[in-house]
Amino acid sequence: MSDQVLSSDRAVSASRQEASAPWIWWSASFLLVVNLTVATWWLSKAVPSWDARLRVVEFPVYAVLLGLLASGVLSLLGIRARVAAYFRTEFFLKTGLVLLGATINLAEIVAFGAKGLLQAVILITSVFFFTWFVARWLGVEEKLRALLSASVAICGVSAAITAAGAVLAKKEQLAYVTGLVILFALPLMFFQPAVAVWLNLSPEVAGAWIGGNIDTTAAVVGAGSIHSQQALKVATITKISQNALIGVVAFLLALYWVVVVERKPGRRPSAWEIWERFPKFVLGFIVASIVVTLAISYGWAGKGGLRDLRHLREWFFIAAFLSIGYGLSFHGLRDAGWRPIGVYALATAFNTVVALAVASVIFR
Amino acid sequence: MAQQQEAARQGSRFFTEDWLAVVVGLTLVALVLTGILKSIP
Repeated sequence: MSDQVLSSDRAVSASRQEASAPWIWWSASFLLVVNLTVATWWLSKAVPSWDARLRVVEFPVYAVLLGLLASGVLSLLGIRARVAAYFRTEFFLKTGLVLLGATINLAEIVAFGAKGLLQAVILITSVFFFTWFVARWLGVEEKLRALLSASVAICGVSAAITAAGAVLAKKEQLAYVTGLVILFALPLMFFQPAVAVWLNLSPEVAGAWIGGNIDTTAAVVGAGSIHSQQALKVATITKISQNALIGVVAFLLALYWVVVVERKPGRRPSAWEIWERFPKFVLGFIVASIVVTLAISYGWAGKGGLRDLRHLREWFFIAAFLSIGYGLSFHGLRDAGWRPIGVYALATAFNTVVALAVASVIFR
Repeated sequence: MAQQQEAARQGSRFFTEDWLAVVVGLTLVALVLTGILKSIP
């Protein structure tokens, strides 16, 4: 009887301690997220300085791996769930997306001119729908289809993140597509400039082809640099112009999802329901783009401010991918199977050919 | 009834986090543009 009372007292005492000191676990969680974010940032800067070819391996890879490692170690210690409080994927992603909007100068679309805009619209539309229908034909789930289409058509990691927010994709799907983006960007970084030289393309056409096809900014810069300074310049501007259209695609995708995909059968959603379901970060993205575009035009924002916004965006995205790694379920990845890889490969091949054709006609 | 209440609770939690991200994001943009927050590594 006394043992039962003692153990009962201990149980009550333990549960009181837990209930009265959650702030210890919240603080630990906060510190852990901050430290892992800094560690990821450091790796993303340090590794390319050891080997320049590794610059194409961007921060999501390190973030997901560190998140996985932290999850594994804390699971072994039995405290993984207690320290999970600040691993807030959605919050970090959505805030990062608003900051992404703040790094887009809408005036650059105009500055790039009709040629660049025409190329961007043709490529984004054709590649998006090609990828969508190939993915549907191969039986890929709808949300994953949206992520694949957006990331191949527009610009890789940022597009995948934006589309994931617009359609409420699963964390595992975003991690999978981000991995594919980086995986396919690496060989293209070497292949495309070599083929451009072999085909005797002018630097402008080569740059437009590289910027319109390769999915990560780091790989675009790498490929452009390999070819020539002029190609690098054109490639960078092409990529930036395509990036600027992320907001438009996100808005349309979100609207399509709310009005068509999630529609209850036989019922048209009311304007209020559309508003309620519409991802508000898209509005924050657009407002941030408009504010920064005006700030640049009126001289309120200097290069330092824009650089700070880019860096802030990167911190939030690092924290988001860390959180994805922390909560990653390999079940979810296994469920997606090999088909997304096949879709991405086919879509990239299509993108490569179409981008070459369009660049050759528009930029000759 | 319980299902509707749960759906409403989840909907409002999602709604709150979305707006929180927008408010935090735009606040950070304002802090950077006004020079209050600067030299971010």
